[in-house]
Amino acid sequence: MSDSTASLRPALITGEKSLADVTNDICAPMERKPTGLWWVAFSISATALLVGIAAVWYQIATGIGTWGLNKTVGWGFDITNFVFWVGIGHAGTLISAVLFLFRQKWRTAVNRSAEAMTLFAVMCAGIFPLIHMGRTWLAYWMVPYPNTRGSLWLNFKSPLLWDVFAISTYLIISAVFWYVGLVPDLATIRDRTRPGPRKRIFSILSLGWDGSARTWHRYETVYMLLAGLATPLVFSVHTIVSMDFATSVIPGWHTTIFPPYFVAGAIFSGLAMVLTLMIIARKVMNLEDYVTPKHIERMCQLMLSMGCIVGFAYGTEFFMAAYSGNPYEQFVFKNRALGPFSWAYWTMVCCNVVIPQLLWFRRVRTSLAAVFVIAILVNVGMWFERFVIIVTSLHRDFLPSSWAHYVPSLIEIATFVGSFGLFFTCFLVFCRIAPAIAIAEVKGAADLKGRKISQTVSEEQAA
Amino acid sequence: MSNESQKKYWTSLAEKEGSSSDENVSPQGGESFSISRRRFLEAAGFTFSLAAFSGCGRAPSETALPFTNQPEGVVPGRNMSYATTCAGCPANCGILATVRDGRPLKMEGLPEHPVSRGGLCAVGQASPLELYDSHRLTHPLMNGEESNWDEVDSAIAKSLEEIADTGGAVRFVTSTITSPTLQASIDGFLQRFPDSRHVMFDALSSSAILDAHRQTHGIRVLPHYKFEQAKVIVSFGADFLGTWISPVEFTAAWRTHRIPTASHPEMSHHIQLEGRMSLTGSNADKRYRISPDDYGSLLTLLYNELASTADQPPIDSESGQGSPDVDIPALADRLWNARGESLVVSDCQDVAVQCVVNAINQLLGNYGKTIDIERPSRQRQGNDRDLLELIEELQAGKVAAMFVAGSDLTHNLPLHDELAEAIRGVDLVVSFADRNNDFGSLANFVCPDHHALESWIDSEPIDGVVSLTQPMLQPLGGTRSILESLARWSGRNDSSYEILRSHWQQSIFPRSNGASFPQFWDQTLHDGIVTVKSNPRAIEEFRFDAIQPLSESARGDFCLTLYHKIGLTDSRHAHNPWLQELPDPITKVTWDNYVCISPATAEALGVTNGDMVRVATASGDYQLELPALLQAGQHDKVLAIALAYGVKGTDRFANVGPDWLEAIPTVAEGELVGKNAAGFIETTEDSLRYNRADVTLEKVQGHRELATTQEHHSSNVPPSVAPHGAEVRESIQETSLAAFSQDSSAGTPEVHHHSDVQLWPEDHPKAGHRWGMAIDLNACTGCSACLIACQSENNVPVVGQDEVRRQREMHWIRIDRYYSGDGGEVEVAHQPMMCQHCDNAPCETVCPVLATVHNEEGLNEQVYNRCVGTRYCANNCPYKVRRFNWFEYPRDDTLQNLALNPDVTVRSRGVMEKCSMCVQRINEGKIEAKSRNEPLADGQIQTACQQSCPAQAIVFGDMNDSKSAISTALKNPRRYGLLEEFNFRPSVSYQRLVRNNDGEIEGDEHV
Repeated sequence: MSDSTASLRPALITGEKSLADVTNDICAPMERKPTGLWWVAFSISATALLVGIAAVWYQIATGIGTWGLNKTVGWGFDITNFVFWVGIGHAGTLISAVLFLFRQKWRTAVNRSAEAMTLFAVMCAGIFPLIHMGRTWLAYWMVPYPNTRGSLWLNFKSPLLWDVFAISTYLIISAVFWYVGLVPDLATIRDRTRPGPRKRIFSILSLGWDGSARTWHRYETVYMLLAGLATPLVFSVHTIVSMDFATSVIPGWHTTIFPPYFVAGAIFSGLAMVLTLMIIARKVMNLEDYVTPKHIERMCQLMLSMGCIVGFAYGTEFFMAAYSGNPYEQFVFKNRALGPFSWAYWTMVCCNVVIPQLLWFRRVRTSLAAVFVIAILVNVGMWFERFVIIVTSLHRDFLPSSWAHYVPSLIEIATFVGSFGLFFTCFLVFCRIAPAIAIAEVKGAADLKGRKISQTVSEEQAA
Repeated sequence: MSNESQKKYWTSLAEKEGSSSDENVSPQGGESFSISRRRFLEAAGFTFSLAAFSGCGRAPSETALPFTNQPEGVVPGRNMSYATTCAGCPANCGILATVRDGRPLKMEGLPEHPVSRGGLCAVGQASPLELYDSHRLTHPLMNGEESNWDEVDSAIAKSLEEIADTGGAVRFVTSTITSPTLQASIDGFLQRFPDSRHVMFDALSSSAILDAHRQTHGIRVLPHYKFEQAKVIVSFGADFLGTWISPVEFTAAWRTHRIPTASHPEMSHHIQLEGRMSLTGSNADKRYRISPDDYGSLLTLLYNELASTADQPPIDSESGQGSPDVDIPALADRLWNARGESLVVSDCQDVAVQCVVNAINQLLGNYGKTIDIERPSRQRQGNDRDLLELIEELQAGKVAAMFVAGSDLTHNLPLHDELAEAIRGVDLVVSFADRNNDFGSLANFVCPDHHALESWIDSEPIDGVVSLTQPMLQPLGGTRSILESLARWSGRNDSSYEILRSHWQQSIFPRSNGASFPQFWDQTLHDGIVTVKSNPRAIEEFRFDAIQPLSESARGDFCLTLYHKIGLTDSRHAHNPWLQELPDPITKVTWDNYVCISPATAEALGVTNGDMVRVATASGDYQLELPALLQAGQHDKVLAIALAYGVKGTDRFANVGPDWLEAIPTVAEGELVGKNAAGFIETTEDSLRYNRADVTLEKVQGHRELATTQEHHSSNVPPSVAPHGAEVRESIQETSLAAFSQDSSAGTPEVHHHSDVQLWPEDHPKAGHRWGMAIDLNACTGCSACLIACQSENNVPVVGQDEVRRQREMHWIRIDRYYSGDGGEVEVAHQPMMCQHCDNAPCETVCPVLATVHNEEGLNEQVYNRCVGTRYCANNCPYKVRRFNWFEYPRDDTLQNLALNPDVTVRSRGVMEKCSMCVQRINEGKIEAKSRNEPLADGQIQTACQQSCPAQAIVFGDMNDSKSAISTALKNPRRYGLLEEFNFRPSVSYQRLVRNNDGEIEGDEHV
């Protein structure tokens, strides 16, 4: 059968791998000493993380005034980064859950790292709403728990509260989904490890996995259920994040198009981030056979479609502003394109709408270097999209007397850098302690080239 | 104890008879009482261990001592109000000082005061902070060293004796003294010395007006201007709503004819001719940009025009043809038609020009009507001729002893270094200043006087209007009243109270109709003010022969105008951080002085805001480098610099704001707040001139970013981003008087999408009180008194220059100032802006923790304790009135902290704050009414901003009370709500601006 399908579809995994090869290749980065390149990457990330920690520490100890915000622009880098990171997370869930439900086998090569990325991105995202509070130490007041403060309760009308639920739900589901998907692989590592503390740890983490048909059955059921649970989150979380803006009265924020616009933008930016990471990881970790140009191309196609949706949303906003007859709304959009922050607006349009159009060309899609550059630019553009929405809408709103400018402070920039530090540090550590590709799943997508499964299994056992 | 032995409590008969089920047993009985020994020990152990842990921290020990003898009328924690007099400037407005637990907290205007009529300016409002100034001297200084009164007294007495014996010259120099008692004391003190003289000077002199009256009326007086009688007001440069002579009084008077109603669509016509853009000019119906060196020729032309109508001989005039822009015949016509109801004033320091002004007013029959010289003003008595004579004497080394009280002598005069050198040659130099100021550093002795809130003194700002100043607390330091110091040196030991009281008994009481002195005294002390007979004066017939043709003065490239900012009317106030941080009503700049340049001139010179420029006299003997500020509406040839900056000791404000990584100190190392421009004051033989026509301007290297609270100055949106048909924001609605008299709702925007849809009209009954505010843009001059009143009442922190630059000032009320016009000819609108307390408040729905909520009386409340600081409310506020505590603002000065209002929380960092509509006052008023068992009367509760407003532009009250002032104001056809079309339903509404100029300037171009 495999022969006949092979002629119809090119193999998802190249290099004529046996099942044992798959296991060996993927586990290899974890079992050998870290490479010099890893150490370089890790020290840069960790330094960035430390800078970020110092900046956050200083900010919490001194006050929000250490940021460049003012009486008119109450949110700047903080919420921009928050929305940016939440958006990054979305592609991971899309790939792991939505594509799973659609039985897209090519996803197996990237889903693990995409899920990990989701998890770390949501962690980065979650930090910003926490530290953007004037009194971070009272952040637990945002949680509805029985308390002794009389009848004081939360404001369920506030989209910030919806955020608390949305983000925490997202974090929990992402973490569980990621972990459940890891269990068979953790068991594989357990089985490959000599007795010792490492084996004990992996034994505990693999939850007594025995590889029996019953175990597999349970696993598949849970995994599908979780995929089903995670799928609506792809849409709901960023919908709710968009409502932080959409439910306000500020021209440029008060827009019903925001939920679909934000979801598309989130997936767009997430795909760009997955591409960025995978193009590096497949090189560094010798996984070229698993993450093939085919995968990259598929993701480029998805990214192109999302980019077009986002571009359409930009146009719709302008059309609605013109059509509404609301002078404040019209002003905000004219001001975005031509005002003091027009450079940010045109950066956004170039990176998100114009440049991704290159992906219509197959030659561009299959050129790893080109895709890498485009992915980075899309990341930049999507960050600027959030910056444009937040800052340019706020800085000139209703009363001209209160118009103000916004310049980020050093502390703010350091915090932003620190969030990248956190993200990459986590990701690099993840690459060392867990398989970056879902071994069990990718095997299902492997083309065994006519060899018997039992043969490969016995090879594996021999290994 | 077992259940069987328990009594059964029942709550109803039915229960008693019916069931005995457990849920009906009342809580006193039941199972919870049956505690086993074991449970008890558990609970007790837990309790004791907790108690032990909680005892680990050491609570600070505090002692609360009761009064041994309770002073009469003093109830701890209750406010007492005492009438007294403001000493911020010689205008001497009435103050009702709020005192709590022995410390004065808040200055309110004294409503019964015939001069200030209940208003109080920013300087007066800020006086508590000057009282609680930790940099004031607490002891006398002898040769710059700390000393005590005995040593100082004996040293001064010794040298005075020598001087009296040798007949040396004694000069007593003061700024304007309105106090009859102090005047008498000084006169008495000087009697001992054969060669003695009292010289008065003013930081911003009006000496020419007094001198002109000596020439035209034979008596050197400052007339009492009655703007309330004037229907046509023409001012040549006099900033009478801002800083000129008695601004609070003039604002209240000016307002009288500024409110048109549907039944009486009439307003006074106010024409301002000026070079710089003053607050008064910004409120004028018609404003002409005139270089101050053209005042004389224009006034001559105006006089000649009027003289020809009145059949009087004209003045020969060789000087210029005036300005082509000003239609002099029309102006003369307008004035002539309002004879006896018009007023021409000028701040020109040229006596000849002031004589022309007098002649014009005489021709118009204004003397006795709008100008009173029978009961003249005493608010400016400085005599520049005396002062200049004194300087000559000093330079000739003829002065043996010199006493200086009031304003800083050397700081406010030109030729500082020469003057200082001359003063160093004087044997005995005594300063009465409250700190070691610029003059004090030259003095042998600094004998600090009390702050006015610690003193017994009096004042007579207008002849026959006498007020008392009573101490609100014991002096905070070892200062001594100037009355006592003079008495000591004359060999008497009287206290200031005794001196004051005996002078009143001898001199003031006989001028009253009172029966007995004690009764008269007590009543005056209670009221703070009394009106007595004026001093008789010999006023001569108007002498037209005093009018001389004007001489042409030297002209250079630019004409420099020196002026005072509204907060800093004297260098004494430079130590007040509230006033330093008060945005100038026109430029909106804080913490600095600068050169105001017209936009056209700046463009020609190639400078923009903050670029350093050098202003120099043509002779080159004085120059100053300051940042430039582009001032719309300024004459292209005119430069303007504020005085009272660069004051010694203001480097204390280096760290006034929060200290953090990128913070820039408010005052750089080795610098002061602003620079002193007094060196530009021109001296002629008879006056100090604040306008000089011989300066040059050049661009120099450097840039200094000014700290302004408003970045965009126009209600027009920038043309490059303006949507078609919506180039102007409708925050200010205005109309012309002509249109208003046709239709009292004229000026309503044509497309006004007013929505009245309410989601829950039924289940939110609006019973009880419903607080609202109405602000009349026609009355508001933008004077910013409300801003400081609010700061004082609500403990608003000072944040320093750098934070203002970062647009993080904390003021709860701001005055939005918009220009319309092309940058040359502009019209100005002022709009006080504070929390609008919207019924559909956008801030309330977005707060996740319910820290900002609506109360049942329509107030939008901010719960500081609950706020976690997400700032979403501020983002979502369409009026941008919410202020966030970006830092823990420094409150290290414990003495200054005594000015904090105990009724209002001091906010910590990380929480949002905003106008509360003085909720503490609302509650106090309600409790007061309830305790008296009376309904709350309209006007009983006044917000701080409303109380202080000299123009009474603000009305506050219960909108549910159909008879209240606010309800009346809401029915005004000029009423409009800001951004009403969004259905925010603000509780603050505005009354449309009406300009009496037939819409001459169209505000359709961007500034």
